[in-house]
Amino acid sequence: MSTLLRLKNVNLKYQTGKELIKVLQGIDLTTKRKETISIVGESGSGKTSLIMLIAGLEKATSGKIFFKGQEISKLNEDEVSQIRRKNIGIIFQSFYLIPNYTAVENVALTLELNKFKNPQQKAKSLLDRFGLKHRLNNLPSQLSGGEQQRVAIARAIAMKPELILADEPTGNLDSENSSMIANILFNFAKEEGSSLIIVTHDSKLANRAKRKIKIKDGKID
Amino acid sequence: MEKLIKSNEFSLIIKYALIDLSRNYKKISSIIITLFISLFILSSILTIEDSLKKELNDNARALLGGDLEIDYNRVQGNLELVNEVKNFATISQMVEFSTMLSTVNKTNNQSLFTRVKTVDSNYPLFGEVIHEPAGALDRIHKEQNTILVNENIFKTLKLKINEKIKVQDQLFTVVGVVKTVPDVSGFIAFGDFALAGQQTLDLLKLNNLGSFLNYEYKVRFNNNNNQEVLKVRIEKLFKDDEKVILRYPENSASGLKRIINNFSQFLSLVSISAMLIAGIGIANTLLSFINQNNMSIAVRKAVGFFSLNIKAIYYLQLFILLFLITVAAYSLSFLIIPIVDIYLSQGLGLNIKPVISIFNFIKVFLVGLLVLIIFTIPTVSAIDQVKASNLFRNVFQNLQFYYSKKSIVLSLVLLSILILLFTIGSAKPIYSLGYFIAFFICLIIFFLLSKLIIYFFKSLKRISNIPLKVSIKNITQTKSITPITIMSLGLGVTLLLTLALVGTNFKREIAKSIPQIAPDYFFLGIQKDDRQVFEKNILSMDKNVNLEIVPIISSAIVKINSVDPTTFITPKNDSYWVIRSERRSSWTDTVPKDNPLVKGQWWDLTKPDRLQISLDAKVAADFNIQIGDIFTLNIYGREIEGTIVNFREVNYRDLSINFAMLFNPQFANNIPHEYLATAKFTADKKLNENKMLEVLPSLSIIKIADYLSKVTAVLDKVFIAVTLISTVTILIGLIVISSAILVQGKLKEFQNLVFKILGFSKK
Repeated sequence: MSTLLRLKNVNLKYQTGKELIKVLQGIDLTTKRKETISIVGESGSGKTSLIMLIAGLEKATSGKIFFKGQEISKLNEDEVSQIRRKNIGIIFQSFYLIPNYTAVENVALTLELNKFKNPQQKAKSLLDRFGLKHRLNNLPSQLSGGEQQRVAIARAIAMKPELILADEPTGNLDSENSSMIANILFNFAKEEGSSLIIVTHDSKLANRAKRKIKIKDGKID
Repeated sequence: MEKLIKSNEFSLIIKYALIDLSRNYKKISSIIITLFISLFILSSILTIEDSLKKELNDNARALLGGDLEIDYNRVQGNLELVNEVKNFATISQMVEFSTMLSTVNKTNNQSLFTRVKTVDSNYPLFGEVIHEPAGALDRIHKEQNTILVNENIFKTLKLKINEKIKVQDQLFTVVGVVKTVPDVSGFIAFGDFALAGQQTLDLLKLNNLGSFLNYEYKVRFNNNNNQEVLKVRIEKLFKDDEKVILRYPENSASGLKRIINNFSQFLSLVSISAMLIAGIGIANTLLSFINQNNMSIAVRKAVGFFSLNIKAIYYLQLFILLFLITVAAYSLSFLIIPIVDIYLSQGLGLNIKPVISIFNFIKVFLVGLLVLIIFTIPTVSAIDQVKASNLFRNVFQNLQFYYSKKSIVLSLVLLSILILLFTIGSAKPIYSLGYFIAFFICLIIFFLLSKLIIYFFKSLKRISNIPLKVSIKNITQTKSITPITIMSLGLGVTLLLTLALVGTNFKREIAKSIPQIAPDYFFLGIQKDDRQVFEKNILSMDKNVNLEIVPIISSAIVKINSVDPTTFITPKNDSYWVIRSERRSSWTDTVPKDNPLVKGQWWDLTKPDRLQISLDAKVAADFNIQIGDIFTLNIYGREIEGTIVNFREVNYRDLSINFAMLFNPQFANNIPHEYLATAKFTADKKLNENKMLEVLPSLSIIKIADYLSKVTAVLDKVFIAVTLISTVTILIGLIVISSAILVQGKLKEFQNLVFKILGFSKK
């Protein structure tokens, strides 16, 4: 398997008043295509910050980040957005569906952005696959937490990204829904050949990944 | 925008702009309302202005009374030339003069100063005289001593059809009432008037200056002739006649057009103030709207939307909204026309119809667009501050207005364009510019005032009362509504108060201050030989009367330093009236009390054989006249050169006797002249008008109070319109504040919840 992502001596620091907070220190990480990875660690250890850097949503204070061989850490916001829209799907703990868009419209958003043909149709069939056929035209407020997260996953994976980043995807769900979401994610990654990086506190979910990375005090343990 | 959006992404932007707008319009209802109100006012003003001008242009011939007007002013003119015109056109001769109409055989007879129009049977050449009863217009041509009076004379003198009235020493029968005439001149529009047959001229004594005689010949070209050729022919015919003024339909109702231009300029400026106040609210509401969509914006960024694309979606929503609001505001402005039409048809006999103008629609849209962009640049730019990484942290920082150097420069450029749009092409650009400067100075003052209030409250440290402490915190915090409240309400109230103050002072000046110093009556047409009779009769009615009698002559400036005077000034200049036609002038030994000398010396008594002229200082400045310059005046057909020896400051508004030109008495006493008098009586009703008219039938008496009440009535209507429009700025200010409070409420939802948990009561 070829390299998909490489982080080389990445550091992330925040200045809060006079205090300098070292969030991530000297992170070196290489992931392969189709690899499933879980990132675990205590609250405040830097797990979420790490996937924010990988997604290009945060700039590293120092170090280099390569995605498919391209150094994304020196690209501007729009160039990173361009890479993200085609290659990276992100799933959040709090789902974050656009509140005034229906389930189909939320999913079709990424398809339309990537100029897929028949985006509405593709979105519908994906939601159907996730057991949401009866919820296509419902607004997020009319969906349960599990349903919302399934829509969010559908939105993240609709354009078949090479990398799926999931931040505590089951954090707000009950065990039944958590299990369903985990199945959807891992099955999809396997079927479509996407890499999956999951940040989680859930050891059961973490253990389903082929590789497990532990972060402690901003460093890979 | 920093970059051009790719064309293939533009369709996506349009799609999402439409979806977002259709689902979020309720959240931006205050933007819709304030934008609509301000655009509706602007549309209404432009539509009324255009409809009025179109009516005036469409009826230009009727308003002028012909395809061309030959105006000889005081003299009958060259009838040979006029008769030559009759060979290829139809002519209607008209003589206007001012005189007194008095009732007879009533217990309490009354008189009215009236403008009488004597017309021939060809009148009117265009349009229609609306009168009652039918056939009355024909009677004034066929029957001697008959007259048609306007509705006001009919009501004021409590006349009946076929009742006798006195005009000078002649009895006339009132055969009907004129409602409107097509050739509306300024005088007829605002004063009382009557129509009489041409033979009336021979019955009355109309050779005095007080009659304000005016000979006009209205010309209608025969249909099958080329009008341009005929115009050129007439111009050639009259080219050597210095006394004639040829007028064309495009010059008709120029006074009315000037009033329309000035009034519409003023109202447009009030409406742009409303728009700018609305702009403050739009910026605030939009910021709140963007804050509410903070998460959606972050999600869009997370899935790969560029910041530019997201901003474009918001701009496009505003653009679509503006377009729809402009269409609605402009279309609904047509509903105003029938209301305005009621007032205009009553006052001027004009019937206006709505005029659809693409230019006006574009202007309204452009003004809206400029205001929208100017005020939304710092708001929409705030989208750059939204971070997709917030989605991982579940923390959304409230956005603030974002000013970059580029956006400030762009806002200033657009603001300049907006100001230019209202300044260039307006009737008085310098006034518009002054208005904008004053507006922005006020805006800055109110902004600084809000900062001062915040600073004051911040400095209050020792407050133990918790609700008061929280209230002060709300006023002083970064996102408080204090600045927006003070600016929007402050500007609206300032505008309304300024207009109310100007209006009240103006009316007070007219209604109270001026009459205190102004005379009660003006007396016109006192012949040289009648002066003593006049004086004796007035003094017999009130021996303590304050009577001022001055000589008057009529003269026209034909040259200035041997050059055509029209080369010194444009017709648009305020002082053009001095050379437009013959003017009345007078003479006096001493400097008039209310006309202080500002430059030069009073009369040089060593040169009694030279005409010396004292000139109004403003007129001198407008014509760029210097002391020592020579005016060539035409006085009763003789050209006399006079030297400008001094300038006086003349205030025509004090209603006392004022002249632009005064002559040295040593020279002027030899010129044939008559007298003009003013009188201020010690008590009301001391003057017996009818007795005066019996003694001096050709005397004209103008009661100042009557004219002041007419002017006040017109001003009242104007002020109602102005106040209504200004009130809208307050209304918009209130909408802005209420939306700001709503925004504040949304931001404070969480804080209020915490207060409740901590045990604060709702109260």
